[in-house]
Amino acid sequence: MKALSDEIIMRKVADGNLDLLKVLFDRHHKHVYNYLYKMSGDAMLSEDLTQDVFYKLIKYRSSYKDGAFVSWLFSIARNNLKTHFTRNHKYHEPVDVLEYKTVANDAERQEDYGQLHNALNQLSPQDRELIVLNRYKEIRYEELAEIVGSTPGALKTKVSRILKKLRVIYLESN
Amino acid sequence: MKSEKDNFISSQLPAYLDGQLSPKEKQQVEDHLAISESCRKELEELRTLFTAFKEEQVQVPSDKLRNQFNQVLEQEKLSQSKVVLLENNKRSWASNLLKIAASVALLIAAFQTGRILEMEKSNQDVAAILEESLQIKQTAMLSLMENQSASKRIQGVSYIEEFPNPDEAIVEALAKRLLHDDNDIVRLNAFEALSGFASSEMVKSIFIETLEKEKNPSIQIGIIQTLVKNQEKKAVAPMQRLLEQEDTQPFVKNEIKLALPKII
Repeated sequence: MKALSDEIIMRKVADGNLDLLKVLFDRHHKHVYNYLYKMSGDAMLSEDLTQDVFYKLIKYRSSYKDGAFVSWLFSIARNNLKTHFTRNHKYHEPVDVLEYKTVANDAERQEDYGQLHNALNQLSPQDRELIVLNRYKEIRYEELAEIVGSTPGALKTKVSRILKKLRVIYLESN
Repeated sequence: MKSEKDNFISSQLPAYLDGQLSPKEKQQVEDHLAISESCRKELEELRTLFTAFKEEQVQVPSDKLRNQFNQVLEQEKLSQSKVVLLENNKRSWASNLLKIAASVALLIAAFQTGRILEMEKSNQDVAAILEESLQIKQTAMLSLMENQSASKRIQGVSYIEEFPNPDEAIVEALAKRLLHDDNDIVRLNAFEALSGFASSEMVKSIFIETLEKEKNPSIQIGIIQTLVKNQEKKAVAPMQRLLEQEDTQPFVKNEIKLALPKII
């Protein structure tokens, strides 16, 4: 079972073999959760949203087209997060801007988290998202480009620039 | 000041650490690292950062997540199979009836096969258990018969009731009791146990051997009666010897006199 790629499994799921979704859940739910947690800073919310991502995977399984599975998966996760914050910040934020809550506003609470976590929070949400997707799940630039709607080349440059910024923040706090 | 080359190499460093560069690009980066102090420093700092990513404790979602996911998946599977069923119904009732009949037949056949197999298996199991318990009893019997206490030896001898077909080891152990035990009652018990199998040649020869040396009159009489009942001709000689011996009890002699004519 391990040998099968995500894409092959997902195609079988789309053909009606629902049990295989468990394999995909096992492989990816922690990464989806971690992504949502790093972006929202809210464990409960992240769990609910992760749940919702996999519900949508069940519901929309037949709409899966032959593309990279992680791109599809994280596109759903990303939209979930976006919808959530658009709904909750309707009256405060411009709707078209991705505006994520910064994790833990007061400095005292920040001590509970790791230094890396704090350094990540000093990046803009857009930058943080790219880093989280690229570093934790090791999503390649081609797939990252599909998720955020850009080109691999542009992303490669962008990610290395953000990493430089993050490196400075991280080492200063050390 | 940083050169343009520095900036370019610096942008390649993440991919270099991830091992994603082509051999040519890799060589290019390494050549530059050899001459640029600032890029070496940058690489080290980046490495520290990457290590931090690797070592960070990642938050793990609770089990609730998996449980709920499995629940929803089961529900979806149920509704999926319902849909399939409705479509079939529309297509043809007759073929469905046939399918149902076939599946019922299959179910019954499978059930019967399972039952027969199960029965065979349990019979084998019971036989194995019986065999095992007999062996345990035999071991207990043999070891009890070697016990120092006479009552334990009697207990061991009386275990013979558990063996409808005792094997040689048991018969030999009983014979040993009958021939060599110091205690009269143990010998008497051993005799009674063996008399149940007096038709066997082995038991008969044991009895004859006993008759030659046994002094206890009740055992003597018992053996004489058993041997006469089995028409054992070889018993005649030891019986006559008993008649001639002076220390033989008179009523034993009497018994022998009555018994001898019966053996033809």
